[in-house]
Amino acid sequence: MVGQGAERLSRERAARRLANEARGGSLLMASTLLAPATLMVALGLVLPILILLRYSFNKFDPRLMMVEAVTLENYVKFFTDPFYTNVFWTTLRVALLCTLVCLVLAMPLAYVLARSESRYKNVLLMLVVLPLFVGNAVRAAGWMTLFGSKGALNAALLEVGAIKVPLQIMFTEKAVVIGVIAVNLPYMVLTLQSVIEGIPRQTEEAAFSLGAGPWTMSRRILWPLALPGIVAGVILCFILAMNAYATPVLLGGPQFKMMGPLVFGQFRLNNWPFGAAVAFVLMTATLVLTGAANLLVQHRYRRGRSP
Amino acid sequence: MAAIRSVSRRQILKGAVAITSAGLADLPLGAAAQSKGKIVVGTWGGDYARLLNKNIEQPILIRDGWEVIQDQAGDPERRSKMLAERRLPRGTTDIQGLSALNMFQMHDVGVIDAIDYGKLRNAPNLLPSMKYPYGVGHIYSGKVGVYNPRLIDPAPKSYKEIFDPKRGDKLGIIDIQYQYTLVCAALAAGGKVDDLEPGKKLLLECKKAGARIYPTNEAFAQGLKTEEFGTGVMWKARVVQWQNASISVEAIVPAEGALAYVSGFVIPKNAPSKAGSYAYLDAMLEKGAQEAFAIDMGYNPTVTNAVVAPELNKRIGFTPEEVKALVDLDYAYMTRNDVTLKEWWDKELKG
Repeated sequence: MVGQGAERLSRERAARRLANEARGGSLLMASTLLAPATLMVALGLVLPILILLRYSFNKFDPRLMMVEAVTLENYVKFFTDPFYTNVFWTTLRVALLCTLVCLVLAMPLAYVLARSESRYKNVLLMLVVLPLFVGNAVRAAGWMTLFGSKGALNAALLEVGAIKVPLQIMFTEKAVVIGVIAVNLPYMVLTLQSVIEGIPRQTEEAAFSLGAGPWTMSRRILWPLALPGIVAGVILCFILAMNAYATPVLLGGPQFKMMGPLVFGQFRLNNWPFGAAVAFVLMTATLVLTGAANLLVQHRYRRGRSP
Repeated sequence: MAAIRSVSRRQILKGAVAITSAGLADLPLGAAAQSKGKIVVGTWGGDYARLLNKNIEQPILIRDGWEVIQDQAGDPERRSKMLAERRLPRGTTDIQGLSALNMFQMHDVGVIDAIDYGKLRNAPNLLPSMKYPYGVGHIYSGKVGVYNPRLIDPAPKSYKEIFDPKRGDKLGIIDIQYQYTLVCAALAAGGKVDDLEPGKKLLLECKKAGARIYPTNEAFAQGLKTEEFGTGVMWKARVVQWQNASISVEAIVPAEGALAYVSGFVIPKNAPSKAGSYAYLDAMLEKGAQEAFAIDMGYNPTVTNAVVAPELNKRIGFTPEEVKALVDLDYAYMTRNDVTLKEWWDKELKG
């Protein structure tokens, strides 16, 4: 069986190669099509990132701001000072928590949207997208009026007598988590919805007809088939949460620190070398974690598919 | 349709001649506009940029034949740009708007020119304290004590009474104002502008007693409005804006002397058009422009011939004694210690 399969695969590959060559210059064609985007990314992203990396090895001088040097002191400062490592762990904690909550909240909603045959489906989808029409800062401003000590929420709770003193939500981690979830949820819902839509309904019906309950079906059929999309949604959400700026600044207040605002703060102080180092720590951590998650899931996915 | 058909070839020709001659008539003016050249001014965006355009550029410089271009950005970005351009024979801006502290900083690293006050027609009117050797003060205000009379009675008289740990739970602090807040607290604790340690200690005590820290000026105003706290320090100009927004707040000039905030302009050494730089400086010191800024922005004129209506002056101005008592930051001290002070602020006070 295995031998036959491998033979068929290599035959298919050869046929594909022949077909490509017959079309003539398809490789050239492909590179021409890829070139503009590659060039844009190289010039607009890779080059500035390399410059930033170089800055992160420079020295800071209060008078001259940035002095050319090759030193690791900015990174050492970050990793040896508990203040900065705390900021890092807070960021990671908030990002993971928000991603998890988004996943749990988005899954049922995405499922209903994907399987809905209502003529209002497009309206429902629009309602999910609607919050994205408003900028993050504006949305945070909305939360501020809701969460403030004399905001709508506290006023209502005080009025009905549920609480005696106003709840302190503004300028806490709670407020940031709620704000970030609200920002990221539509992304998660949309990603999951499109993936679930691609899973044939018949696979679920087959499971049900074989006696699986809804829970078993979700666990054994829906979850594994939707896994690539779930990973995409989780990664998207996680990256957005790790790099959140407006929400932690506006809802977290001055005493709450996350990496995004920390990077900005260092550049405001004109401490470019340290700002660059913090930016690199954030970027590397995000990349490594998303890469690791991706690899892990791919590994399990492949193992799950093998007979 | 009939109207269109009735337009004859001759009429069209007449029209064309009229348009051409109108164009020609405009030409000398257009040529004059180009003859004076271009001024590139680095400034903050927002209201300040809009008011520079409304009160200085449009009515004086552009009418005079200058072309003015604003390079809008926050001051850290513009200072970085000035430093990055320092080796170029020709920079990209002719004049830069900065706070007095940042003006000093740029002077300290040697990227700006000494001001030749002989070239400024309006220099004799300038307040002596606004004549920096390396920059010209445009507007000023002072860090006054603010309090809500409904919560704080009797009114505080000094920074010392505002930063009193005994009523620390009534104190509001603005995060982005860390430099000035530290100096005010130092003055309250009997320290000096170049010795902020007593101020740090006092702030920690106030924090322990329940002082609240707000991220921005706007958040502070919001807290003041909802009576989350009752007192703090802020620019007098801002207090006027808050009173206009019907927030219950009064301002006092502290007994220690109010900490001054001066915003001014400097000339980069490699400014492409020095004539333009000086034209801008002179225009911003014009009586009319200075008076308009007092009305529009609530900051005080830096020239003696500007007339501010008594009612407005009561709200934004300082008496001659108060002006004399204004306290300046120690620019060199603040420049050298800014990052350490901010780190202390973030780690110790806010942490």
